[in-house]
Amino acid sequence: IIQTHKGVIGIIVVNAEGIPIRTTLDNSTTVQYAAQLHHLTMLSRSAVRELDPQNDLTFLRIKSKKHEIMVAPEKDYLLVVIQNPSE
Amino acid sequence: MQSDLIAEVEETLKRIQSQKGVQGIIIINAEGIPIKSTLDNSSTVQYAGLLHQLVMKTRSTVRDLDPQNDLTFLRVRSKKNEIMIAPDKDYFLIVIQNPSD
Repeated sequence: IIQTHKGVIGIIVVNAEGIPIRTTLDNSTTVQYAAQLHHLTMLSRSAVRELDPQNDLTFLRIKSKKHEIMVAPEKDYLLVVIQNPSE
Repeated sequence: MQSDLIAEVEETLKRIQSQKGVQGIIIINAEGIPIKSTLDNSSTVQYAGLLHQLVMKTRSTVRDLDPQNDLTFLRVRSKKNEIMIAPDKDYFLIVIQNPSD
C-alpha cells in the first residue's frame, strides 16, 4: 500500500538487529540503508532518552536535497520509507 | 546594519515562539555552542550538546549513503514532543514543540 503512494522510492523493514527482512530496493542499497539508519535510529533514541528518561522516540524524518527518509521504530522492527521530497 | 540583523532575528524568534505548541527555540553555532535560547540554561546546554552530535551524525549518514546528497532538515518525534532541526551553513535552528499541535 505504501509502495503505490506517489513519490515513494523504496521501503525497507529492518529487524531489531539491523538486518533488513523486507525491501523493495536492490540488495546493496538495502543493506547500506538498513545498517546506517538502524545505527542512526539508535542514536536518536538514546538522545531522546538522555534528554528525558521517560520519553521515547516515535518517528524520525530525515530530509535531504534528493529525498526524504522516514523511519518508524516499532518494538521489534524499523519501518523505513524513502520518498521523493516534493511529493 | 548589525543591529538591524539582530532585530530581525529577534522578530523571527518571537514569531516562532508565539506559534501554538512551541516549547522552546535554540540557535547553536557550528561548534554546537548555544548562542540564543528561550529555554533555561541547563536545558539549553543539554539539548545543544546532544542535538549537535545527532545532526552531525545524521549529516554524515546522508553523505555516506550518497556523497552528492546533503541533510536539509531533521525531525525527531517522541512521545512527549517533537524536535525540529534546520541545519544551515554556520548555524542550527532547533525548535521544540508539542507533537499534537
